[in-house]
Amino acid sequence: MSSSKSPLAGIRIADFTIHAAGPFCTHLLSQLGAECIKIESQTRPDAFRKPHAVYGRMAAATFDQVSANKLSVRLNLKQPEAVVLAKQLVGISNVTAESFRPGVMNRLGLGFDDLRQSKPDLVMLSLSSCGQSGPDSHFAGYAPLFGAWGGLGSMTGYSDGPPVEMRHVMDHSAGLHAAMAVMAALHQHRRTGQAQHVDLAAREVASAMIGDALVQASFGMTPERPGNGDLGKAPHGIYATGKPDRWLTLAIRNDTEWRRLQQLVGEDVCEERFATMPGRLQHRKDLDQLLSKWLACCDADATAELLQQAGICAHVSWTMQDIADDAHLRARRALVEVSAPDIPPRLAVGAPARFSRTDDVGIRRLTPALGQDEDYVFGELLGLSAAQRADLEVREVIL
Amino acid sequence: MTANVVTPLPQLPLSGCRIVERSRTVAAAYAGRMLAAMGADVVMLEPSAGTSLRKAAPLLDGTGESALFAYLAVGKSSQMCDMETPSGQATLAHALEHADIFIDDTPLCERGSLHLTPEAIATRFPKLVHVSVLPFGASGPKAHWDGEEINLLHAGGEGFLLPNGLSNELYPDRPPLKIYGHFAGYQGGCAAALSALSAWWVVDTAGGQYVDVSVQDAVLSVGAFALQRLGDGSLEHRETRRFRYGGVFAAKDGYVELLTLEDRQWSALVALLGSPSWASEEGLRDPLNRSRRGDEINAHIRAWMAQHSVDDIVLRAQELGVPAGKYRTPAEVVHGEHERARGLFASTQLASGMHVEALVAPFQFRCTPLRGGERVPALGDMARKAQ
Repeated sequence: MSSSKSPLAGIRIADFTIHAAGPFCTHLLSQLGAECIKIESQTRPDAFRKPHAVYGRMAAATFDQVSANKLSVRLNLKQPEAVVLAKQLVGISNVTAESFRPGVMNRLGLGFDDLRQSKPDLVMLSLSSCGQSGPDSHFAGYAPLFGAWGGLGSMTGYSDGPPVEMRHVMDHSAGLHAAMAVMAALHQHRRTGQAQHVDLAAREVASAMIGDALVQASFGMTPERPGNGDLGKAPHGIYATGKPDRWLTLAIRNDTEWRRLQQLVGEDVCEERFATMPGRLQHRKDLDQLLSKWLACCDADATAELLQQAGICAHVSWTMQDIADDAHLRARRALVEVSAPDIPPRLAVGAPARFSRTDDVGIRRLTPALGQDEDYVFGELLGLSAAQRADLEVREVIL
Repeated sequence: MTANVVTPLPQLPLSGCRIVERSRTVAAAYAGRMLAAMGADVVMLEPSAGTSLRKAAPLLDGTGESALFAYLAVGKSSQMCDMETPSGQATLAHALEHADIFIDDTPLCERGSLHLTPEAIATRFPKLVHVSVLPFGASGPKAHWDGEEINLLHAGGEGFLLPNGLSNELYPDRPPLKIYGHFAGYQGGCAAALSALSAWWVVDTAGGQYVDVSVQDAVLSVGAFALQRLGDGSLEHRETRRFRYGGVFAAKDGYVELLTLEDRQWSALVALLGSPSWASEEGLRDPLNRSRRGDEINAHIRAWMAQHSVDDIVLRAQELGVPAGKYRTPAEVVHGEHERARGLFASTQLASGMHVEALVAPFQFRCTPLRGGERVPALGDMARKAQ
């Protein structure tokens, strides 16, 4: 799998996570070099192996980003012998990760306290909607619900409109935070040899995204939804350009940047009332109208280049096709081309950073077929013979 | 006002980890904030005028202090360091000599003159993990580009896709909409903290190294599903990226989010709606058919929601196993029973001496709970502590 040039080479994860948030966490760690063993079963396959009609996907995914890099084994955890094998996998792993609703792992005999009996220095991640404790801990939910519960949904939206539902970025943000917390737990384990149970509630990650508004609320203030505006910057927003649905994002942080913009826009915006930030904030509607008039005939891409050359923060609102075509992201390997015998070349997201020394990071293999790595995991790592495995399959322990 | 007393607490996950942070962006500050929350000793090196984040909106009524800075700086220490001066360079060198990780968001064009290039740092501090956090990263043809939150959320692809669902239906001609606050910056910061801890993991074998993190990359990373959809042949757009049914609904007294992905949840939703005759139609038993008739289903749900209160809906929904939740305000989150039970917030003293509640961390370490409750550092509080 990974080489000694990977930062997390030698780390092994027993991965019970499902859906998006938990799998994204372990996927990130696998991109950094961890060996990740995904444990599922034919009776309870993960979401990407099935149609996802509500998202408009009418068949199983051929490529699934968050399952890439992972090894796959089958265990029917309703069978006690499968639970024993799962515990053995936990025993040879540095991290155990799960994302079931609180209580499910306990019922399977795989809760933190159960596993700690056989592995006293267990490092375990439990990622869930609402966490392992608290009155709402039994609530089931998905990304839009995390945003609603956590306050991010109500703070996002047009000022005069309804709240906005968060999508997969909310799941994956939870997974990213989980990966960071797991790394901290690994450092702690290395230092102390002690067990740790990381409890991540995705709704609390949504709350972390409005940490400033929560400080205001605790101070008795009522934070308002700013839409595309910014309380401290003007002009600031998303503007139509000469081509339909081709938007330009723009942020002016100070008077120096404003004067640069003035030079490009011309005399239409050379009014004294716009000279200072307080003035621009006070007259932001008028300012936006003038800028909209200027940008209405502009080419968004050329204008973004022009503004950046002038030292002004600007960027086109990019579609995924724009991103796919971007030389910068490809040069950074944030965007990588992947392929397999049955998967034509396509783009995927690369490692979260570039490392100067341990630079062997990224995607090494694509979506695993269910149970494709059992020779290695059950055979080599757990030492099961072919006959033993065949018997376990007949008795639907491996299923 | 006294400084944060950084007492070694070996029980915290990152106790003993020493971090120097030079930040004027949310991304770099959030990286340090997350690491501080987990027990690391984080020192902000600030110019004598203070980091610009100290004045960043939103501000608190009365004190004029930045709520954003309070959130980002709690638990850190502050040391004044004017990098352009010899004494500032000496302060930096002394700090880095004793550090494990250096988080820096200095623009590329300023790094040479300030001796902050990766080569200069690696030569002087070979065991240091040097993490660069920039809007577009430190390498690649656009590394010199600058960007604020609104630019970066759109440069990473998610901005174009918002809003979807009800907001887009109501206002189809409006521009795309950013996520509140600093979502992109937080992703960049979290990626930086993850990468810093990963590089530090191998410091004994690989030595120190340079880590290049980009906020744009991080936004793209968490938006990976849209890229995956592109590979499947579907270019997503905010008008069409919506749940076939479910989403945001206006109730009598607020908004509810409802989403059913599994068959049993659909059955529970039908029960929640009072088992209306339209829902028992044979054609709606198949989930694929339901998706094709999503607009029709949503119209029924909207009519029903409008007649009920949020609390009644979500209480009954959770009893039946329907994933549904209230769109809560920040005040409801701060004072939430669930959040209180989990200790999500801790009282925090501002530089002015006033107190606020700040979110401790969006994760818990159940064997060694995080402490929270540290102060927001006054500018240069380390010097006062030393006196």
